[in-house]
Amino acid sequence: MTTQRRQFLAAGAALGAGALLSPLARAQAGGAKKYAGVTLNVSTFSAAYPKFLQQALPEFEALTGAKVNFDAPSFPVYNQRVDLELSTRGAAYDVVNVTFIYSSRWINSGWLTPLDDYLRNPNLTPADFDLNDFLPGARAPETGRDGKLYGVPWTAEALLTASSRFDLVQAAGLEFPDSTDDLLKVLRAVNKKERVAGFVSDNHYGWTFVPYLHAFGGDVFRKAPDDLFPTLDTPEAIAAADYYANLLREFGPDGAVTYTPDQVIQSLKQGRVNFTDQGQLYLAQLGDPATSKTIKTVKFGLVPKGPAGRFPGTAVHGLGIPAGSKNKEAAWAFIAWALSKQTTHKAVLAGYGSPARKSDLELPAFRARQNINGTDLARLAQDSIELASRTGHMKYRTVSVYPQVDQQINKAIELVATKQLSAKQAMQQAQAASIADLKRAGLSL
Amino acid sequence: MSSQLMAAGWQAERRRAFLLGLAPSLLVLAVITLVPAVALLVASLTPLSLTDPLATFRFDDPLVNYRHLLEDKRFIDSVGTQLELSVSSVTLQVALGLGIALLLHGPSRLLAATRAAFLIPMVLPPIVVALIWKILYTPDISPLHRAAEALGVPFSSLIANPDTALWAISVADTWQWFPFTMLMVLAALQMVPQSPIEAARLDGANRWQVFRFIVLPHLRPVLVVCALFRLIDSFKAFPLIYVLTNGGPGTVTEVTNYYGFVQAFNFSYWGYASAIAMVILAGVFALAALVGRLGWNHHHDPQR
Repeated sequence: MTTQRRQFLAAGAALGAGALLSPLARAQAGGAKKYAGVTLNVSTFSAAYPKFLQQALPEFEALTGAKVNFDAPSFPVYNQRVDLELSTRGAAYDVVNVTFIYSSRWINSGWLTPLDDYLRNPNLTPADFDLNDFLPGARAPETGRDGKLYGVPWTAEALLTASSRFDLVQAAGLEFPDSTDDLLKVLRAVNKKERVAGFVSDNHYGWTFVPYLHAFGGDVFRKAPDDLFPTLDTPEAIAAADYYANLLREFGPDGAVTYTPDQVIQSLKQGRVNFTDQGQLYLAQLGDPATSKTIKTVKFGLVPKGPAGRFPGTAVHGLGIPAGSKNKEAAWAFIAWALSKQTTHKAVLAGYGSPARKSDLELPAFRARQNINGTDLARLAQDSIELASRTGHMKYRTVSVYPQVDQQINKAIELVATKQLSAKQAMQQAQAASIADLKRAGLSL
Repeated sequence: MSSQLMAAGWQAERRRAFLLGLAPSLLVLAVITLVPAVALLVASLTPLSLTDPLATFRFDDPLVNYRHLLEDKRFIDSVGTQLELSVSSVTLQVALGLGIALLLHGPSRLLAATRAAFLIPMVLPPIVVALIWKILYTPDISPLHRAAEALGVPFSSLIANPDTALWAISVADTWQWFPFTMLMVLAALQMVPQSPIEAARLDGANRWQVFRFIVLPHLRPVLVVCALFRLIDSFKAFPLIYVLTNGGPGTVTEVTNYYGFVQAFNFSYWGYASAIAMVILAGVFALAALVGRLGWNHHHDPQR
């Protein structure tokens, strides 16, 4: 993976350095550059694709004459900073990442610019941009209630289940767990075998637990996005919380409730923990021969189905333009370049792991790379994203008040897993607190 | 008479000149301290939410946030947690700082080097301190846990256990800030007069009696200042909680400051978060006044 990352960044740099030789640059070389003198402030959270773009910036600057300041802080810092900036309609940023869990808040509060006019204008959007090439499931959360598009997706990833020591499961004569019952059976058989703990997950349970909540027939809201009355205290939700907290309590490593995503992946790479449910981008690191000790024993699958079915979590991030930007046309030029077929294609060939364009997902080189120890990670993710777009079960995640409920879910699972409260008490408490929080947001419930 | 008038006029002129000279600094001071405080107070009287700032910046029910605070169990619990953390960490810091200062008070080079080494935690950026303790408290990678296991006394993750998580933060906070008390006490020890100590020793006082009846009364004002400073600072506890526990497990380490952060930055409830900040501000003032009464002027008060 380290080598792959280097290749990926080197490709970005090469893309930048080769800018002056590109046909587009040559075409523009004779005349004045369209956005000469414009400085664009771009901000996303730090991730593989933004890093690639940072390396490739010279190409865009050579093509358009614009200068780009590209800032990519960590995920929570980015979200807090941009949430505040957008809410004040500030002009500090021209291009921002439309973060999945904030997408509805940012879009439906009118803090972002609709992109439809830019997309329709042939003078501003190249003919081969092809918006329909982006997965419909990835475009949906970037679309407002008004039907307009506010962000172009650069990543679409799914929550999957992984077993780092599948050999232990096979030795117990069992299959990869397909259902919540299977998972329990498998964990009982392999927990603490060869000092490997059975299960751990990122303590952002508002992300990792919700597929189980859905699988048990529960939901976060009565019917997002139209009826946002929380439904955390239903019998199904309580049963799901009890089940999930028990996975952490009974099969988790010491301190399971403190595990961050990096710790989860590290523990699976080292073979200290067997199972997890985590985003595909993180899980892909288990295929890194340089750092993963479990590359030969790892196996991936969809999140388990429960009595109500299978509901994988998905996350989409896109690039959008703040309503307060003073350089919207140049900002769109940046997005059209950053997510053009040529740029995303180069990124994928150089190692990028979760594109949102169908044409990238079908590239043979990409598919071959996503095959880790016999499992096609990309296929699993694509199936999950398509499933999510069919069922619409991810709508809960993009409503403007989800961050409040997300916090309550995190707390509730921790309270149950550390035996401070029963599942019923914790979920009832989360329900009451969520209602109070949502009322504070001005919702009449 | 005329000379008196002239003198009074000169005095008034001098006062005006002073005021004029001071005006720019007073203005800057007002802008950087009073204006944000007033803005905080004003925001706390509105249900201001950044998701809809225009509709929520209104004053039709100015006490709504304060009323909600009284009904908000998570907030009330956070105040209790805050007090628990503040009292435990400040007590530990003052006791440890005093003890180590007494041990390291002396002219030798070794003691001087040790004193300098003990200052390291205090000068580290708070986030680095938090990361150090995150490593120490994470069983998989912690040298502390490995050593305990090797000695046959393994223990479970301290930050994942609701009974020990707050103490774990208190210990980390103490590690970072006991040098402050140590430094202040070392400075004060230089000022303790030697003659009463020698007199007491001649009278047969033992080391404890010398400390209890001569050194400690001299150190008391310094210890009160240290406690006050650290107490005020403890209300701003953030990086350790953010990195180590995120307020959990559940809400056992969620102090008021952290709860305010969650309301403001995770949920965008600026009005409510401002009300929480105002309560913290009032609490700090009240505690500072209380601690000041307990011992600040005691040593120098001629009436007592």
